Amino acid sequence: MFKSLSHIYLFIFSILLWHNAAFASERIAVVGSTTVLPIISQAASQYHKLHPDIIITVSGGGSGVGIAAIIQGTAQLGMASRETTKEEKTKLNGRINNITIAADAVAVAVSKAVYESGMHQLSLQNIADIYRGNIRNWQTLGGENKPILVIDKEASRGTRHVFAKAVLGSSHARADGASIISGSNNEEQSIISQSNQAIGMLSNAWLNDKVRGIDVLIDGKAISPSIKHVRDGSYPIARALHVLLPKTASPATQDFVKFLLSKQGQLIVKNVGYLPVQ
Amino acid sequence: MRLSPLSISVFLGCLIACISTCALVWFLFDSSWPYWRSFGLSQIFSSQWYPYESLYGLLPAIVGSIWAMFIAMGFAVPCALAAAIVSSEMLPCSWQNGLRLSMEILAGIPSVVYGLIGLWVLLPWLQNTFHLLTGHSLLAAGLILSLMILPTIMLMAQDALRLVPREQREAAKHLGLDWNQRLYRILLPQAWPGIRSGILLALGRVLGETMAVMLVVGSLDRLPQPIYNILAPAQTLTSRIGREMGEAAFGSMHFSALMACGLLLAVTAIFLSLFTQRNTPQT
Repeated sequence: MFKSLSHIYLFIFSILLWHNAAFASERIAVVGSTTVLPIISQAASQYHKLHPDIIITVSGGGSGVGIAAIIQGTAQLGMASRETTKEEKTKLNGRINNITIAADAVAVAVSKAVYESGMHQLSLQNIADIYRGNIRNWQTLGGENKPILVIDKEASRGTRHVFAKAVLGSSHARADGASIISGSNNEEQSIISQSNQAIGMLSNAWLNDKVRGIDVLIDGKAISPSIKHVRDGSYPIARALHVLLPKTASPATQDFVKFLLSKQGQLIVKNVGYLPVQ
Repeated sequence: MRLSPLSISVFLGCLIACISTCALVWFLFDSSWPYWRSFGLSQIFSSQWYPYESLYGLLPAIVGSIWAMFIAMGFAVPCALAAAIVSSEMLPCSWQNGLRLSMEILAGIPSVVYGLIGLWVLLPWLQNTFHLLTGHSLLAAGLILSLMILPTIMLMAQDALRLVPREQREAAKHLGLDWNQRLYRILLPQAWPGIRSGILLALGRVLGETMAVMLVVGSLDRLPQPIYNILAPAQTLTSRIGREMGEAAFGSMHFSALMACGLLLAVTAIFLSLFTQRNTPQT
């Protein structure tokens, strides 16, 4: 096929030239929270159909990683499911716009077996006791005689910040009763579904048949982690989902954020299972 | 020495290799220096890792890494040596090639695939067999690591055994040595340098494997209670770096602490290879 060295060089050069044409398009790297990720992925593929010359790559890592990527300039758009901390705000120095695109609830998720043994609601104090290691068996709360598998999250995850603030008092609170530490929503969902005695924190859009969200007892009333309760503010572990848009972002990135806030984008938010910004 | 272009380029290549190694170690030392300066060596013995409270205790991760290393080597070295001995001494040629091919395929599988196998196959099995709360444990990490390093050790041991000249085996037979004596007195001592390099390579991989370990070890910064409890979730140095590197801002104390974990791993690997080199009989 290659008759001489010069033919090989010509072949390689033409391949590079062909790929260079693809480089004329713009690439937007979106990094951050795995809670916001489903919205951005679907929005990115729809946006790409409308603007084929813009390629959007979406990756996870957690809210902490997303904010750090924006601080260091390694991503064009950040996703976060929590507010930026004081240290992060100082590092960001007003260089970004923090735009809310949706709201969701952090559900206290339990394995299917736990839910079906009658554990449908817990008070915030009970959940705090479980995560602090004061309650170790489901039997203490009226369930079956099984030790509790307490799944905590990496300390930088947005879901963990919000959960710790509402349940344990501060967003960096220690959870001494934790059995294992998981990372993304995906990982947490698979660990809870593989076990039959687990409890964890999961965004409500990730609940399924094997991973059930339980209600939170407040003043005797059981409040479920549904969109309705996020809207009227009664569910205590709710948060806004943001994108972090640098002020020096390209016009394409700003247009993509406008798309997220438009009717089409908010329809995607609703389909994923979060509360659209009204 | 003639200064031909070939000898100059070979010398340059060697220089680049040496400089890269030194630069790597220097980079690790330089980025972790703020951590060592602030905390000194005391944090190596502290068991509290709470970056948000500026507590960077390394002890649980160090203990976890040591346990994972011992478990992995303890399972892999005997099995791999046995496979190499069987393959080079007992099997016919075609079987040898078949075994070698399958080991090379095993060695080429990406580590994240091993991690997924561990997550979906090994963890439920461990959970059911030992009646644990969860299969995430140091034992799981050690078993997955041993599966990963088995091909490496086996291939290098087999090569080393094959290199022992046939005359040695024939001489042993003529002297009336039985199989045990032939193996332990003639073959293994002569093949030992090659086997040792294989073990060192495997050790480097065990110390540095991140993805597979991260998925199965539990990532819980707590000392095993009691210290020999390998059936509970724990932490290793690599798993900690893997979990927290993305969010540690470049230059912060958290970043330095993670770099210190990396430096400990590099220093351990260097120390182990130097230590085993010194015991080489100079032939």
